[in-house]
Amino acid sequence: MMSIDFTLNGRPCRIDVPAHWTALDLLRDRLALNGTKSGCGEGVCGTCTVLLDGEPVRSCLVLASRLRSRAVLTVEGLDRDGEPDQLQAAFARAGAVQCGFCTPGMLLAARALLASNPSPTAHEVREALAGNLCRCTGYAKIIEAVLAASTGC
Amino acid sequence: MRLRPFALAEPESVPEAVELLARLEGDVRIIAGGTALVPTMRLGLVTPDRLVSLHRIVGLSGIRVDQGVLEIGAMTSLAAFARHDALRSGWPLLAQAAGRVATPAIRSTATLGGNLCYAEAASDPAPALLCLDAQVRVAGAVDERVVPIGEFFTGFYETAVAPGEILTSVRVPAVPPGAYSGYLKYCPRSAEDKPLVGVAALLVLDAGRRVGEIRIGLAGAAPTPMRARQAEAVVTGQALTDRAIHGAADAAASEAEPLSDLMGSADYRREMIRVWVRRLLTALRDGRSLTPRSAVDQLMSQSP
Repeated sequence: MMSIDFTLNGRPCRIDVPAHWTALDLLRDRLALNGTKSGCGEGVCGTCTVLLDGEPVRSCLVLASRLRSRAVLTVEGLDRDGEPDQLQAAFARAGAVQCGFCTPGMLLAARALLASNPSPTAHEVREALAGNLCRCTGYAKIIEAVLAASTGC
Repeated sequence: MRLRPFALAEPESVPEAVELLARLEGDVRIIAGGTALVPTMRLGLVTPDRLVSLHRIVGLSGIRVDQGVLEIGAMTSLAAFARHDALRSGWPLLAQAAGRVATPAIRSTATLGGNLCYAEAASDPAPALLCLDAQVRVAGAVDERVVPIGEFFTGFYETAVAPGEILTSVRVPAVPPGAYSGYLKYCPRSAEDKPLVGVAALLVLDAGRRVGEIRIGLAGAAPTPMRARQAEAVVTGQALTDRAIHGAADAAASEAEPLSDLMGSADYRREMIRVWVRRLLTALRDGRSLTPRSAVDQLMSQSP
């Protein structure tokens, strides 16, 4: 067991965690933040994506100890005072959510893209989301939603 | 599914890490970014008792350029390459190859040292570093040594890093002035996959537009990343005519020692080496843009 301090969705967090737990184990099974999904467990599907200091990472591949002293953003931290943020609202308007399992990872990958590139091209959106699989195959509307959020529509 | 329990050590300096590696008993593994090791552990292919994580060693991260030589700390993420202007402008081949590894959320976590020590034959950065004559610095209990990248990969998922040693940095000399370079990655399944074959090349033409120097690196072409030295010899001193390029591509295909796996048979890989060496050398000769995806989009539209 090790003690780690980090920032979780803007708030300080100190918690004990077993050394062999991943960040995903910690988020879901200790902190009950079940918005972050557990998919392939191999870093391929993207649904466990969270932001670590603003960069997208696969929480299933990152040991929990790596969160120490860093800032973690999960899908639960995206809203603005309980209201969907611009990106979430754009997903809802575009119909970019089908079964919803990929949505948290899509949102966070898109958030990281827009933070570094506020006006991406469709090609850049595709590149940024290349590692996030949607088995409903709703990619067109997801890309549409990210482009809509980027221009502030 | 949880990982099988292990003890975790998080040293804060290289000497401390080396001392731990010498002292700890059982199956001890070094973890860098973990993007290769964690899935391998989850699959039960390795079952370490202890991991020694290098992430708290401050001096192992970072990119520096000193007197024209690039030095990249082992724990530098592949994503950091794209943010480093001097690396992108001075070593575009390396920036391009690193930018083709997997996806943004993997590149943010995966490290250069981890990529090399995993020794995947289909590594994207490895053929670029082979073309760039990189040197790998390795620290051990007694001293530090430098391994030329050409001697680093010793076998299937094996490297020159001995038990108890740590890869600390990679040094890349300046690229010859006027060099053309590029990396093409053939992914028949999906864009974020490792390559079926990857081809890197660095080319210097002389005043008569003949090949003064050429280096060709291959991924997925043998049990380890490799230089295609016979292909290089075929075109050195020659004008890069279609015929010369075909000769080099044929030589690369014949000197490759590809393996068969679920991605493709050895025969198919050999043919794809022929095709993609030809396409890369042709694109470099013709001065076609080799920005990561556009080159692939462009070249995928040609038939083999």
